[in-house]
Amino acid sequence: MQTHLDSTQPLQKSSRQPSKLLPSSFRYIDKRELATVLHIGPALSETVDFFSDYRCKVHFVDLFSALPIACGEHTTASLEQQVEQVLTFPSDTRFDICLFWDLFNYLNSDAIGAFLTVLRPHLKTNTLAHAFSVHNLKIPHPRHVYGIEQLDTLSVRARCTAPPEYAPHSQNQLRQLLYCFKLERSVLLTDSRLELLLRATL
Amino acid sequence: MIGPNSIIKGEIAGDEDIVIEGRVEGIINLHGNQVSIGESGNVRADIHARVIKIDGTIIGDMCASENVMISKSGNVSGNIVAPRVTLEDGAIFKGSIDMDPAGIASKEVPGTSQPLTHSAASHMASPGLDLKSV
Repeated sequence: MQTHLDSTQPLQKSSRQPSKLLPSSFRYIDKRELATVLHIGPALSETVDFFSDYRCKVHFVDLFSALPIACGEHTTASLEQQVEQVLTFPSDTRFDICLFWDLFNYLNSDAIGAFLTVLRPHLKTNTLAHAFSVHNLKIPHPRHVYGIEQLDTLSVRARCTAPPEYAPHSQNQLRQLLYCFKLERSVLLTDSRLELLLRATL
Repeated sequence: MIGPNSIIKGEIAGDEDIVIEGRVEGIINLHGNQVSIGESGNVRADIHARVIKIDGTIIGDMCASENVMISKSGNVSGNIVAPRVTLEDGAIFKGSIDMDPAGIASKEVPGTSQPLTHSAASHMASPGLDLKSV
């Protein structure tokens, strides 16, 4: 399996995007306490710099490089097996924060179910998660990679190659599919995308 | 320095800095020193050092008492434990970064070459211990 989607195609220069909900996903984090973070997507320099201010363990998992998560001719592995090959954590790992970014725009409903089945044992009752969805299903494929500049400021870079299977879900669909999370808050962004704050419900 | 045409399999231990431009498989224990992996360096090993600088490729876990620097040409697959980690734009990193300074002592086994748990390098076939440089 390719380890990095953009390993031969560098990401373009970043722009900044304010985030209203990322600070809320850190609300239970005490800088004196060790935090465990799941970051879906490639590690960017600014994100690593940001987390250096925290006592933390950050798991960078570029699930985008494993897309599409689907059954078909290319694999005999089940959806869960495909996800498990990428999400490999020690069994006692429990995440305080999950940064999904726009992952769910690239997973169909079955793949989201498989992803959550694998992730659920690593969640806690107060795990908070951040994600992007869409308000309008017809908005163009954003092809972004996200990093964290500051707690309320994201860095956004364009991928040179778009991940496959872009098929975003409506907010209502996503609310039902994310069965072990509750949608706490959503913010409509100017480009018809949605920023989501989720809380685990175990 | 381990030159670009050299291959070492086993444990490297000692009390001086090292630059790796060749290939190393095994374990590197240079607790008080700097390990530099040059652009042509290809390492499949767990590393314990004071400072680890990566311009080349490594598959393995790293524990540094000061910091780990991954340059734009670096390609890392493994878990890092260090109080400070820097990643240049263009670097490729797959794994986890544990930046808990207080927890580093407990994660490293002092005076031994015991690798971290869930080692990325340990997933490969065990190399024969045919060299120990002290």
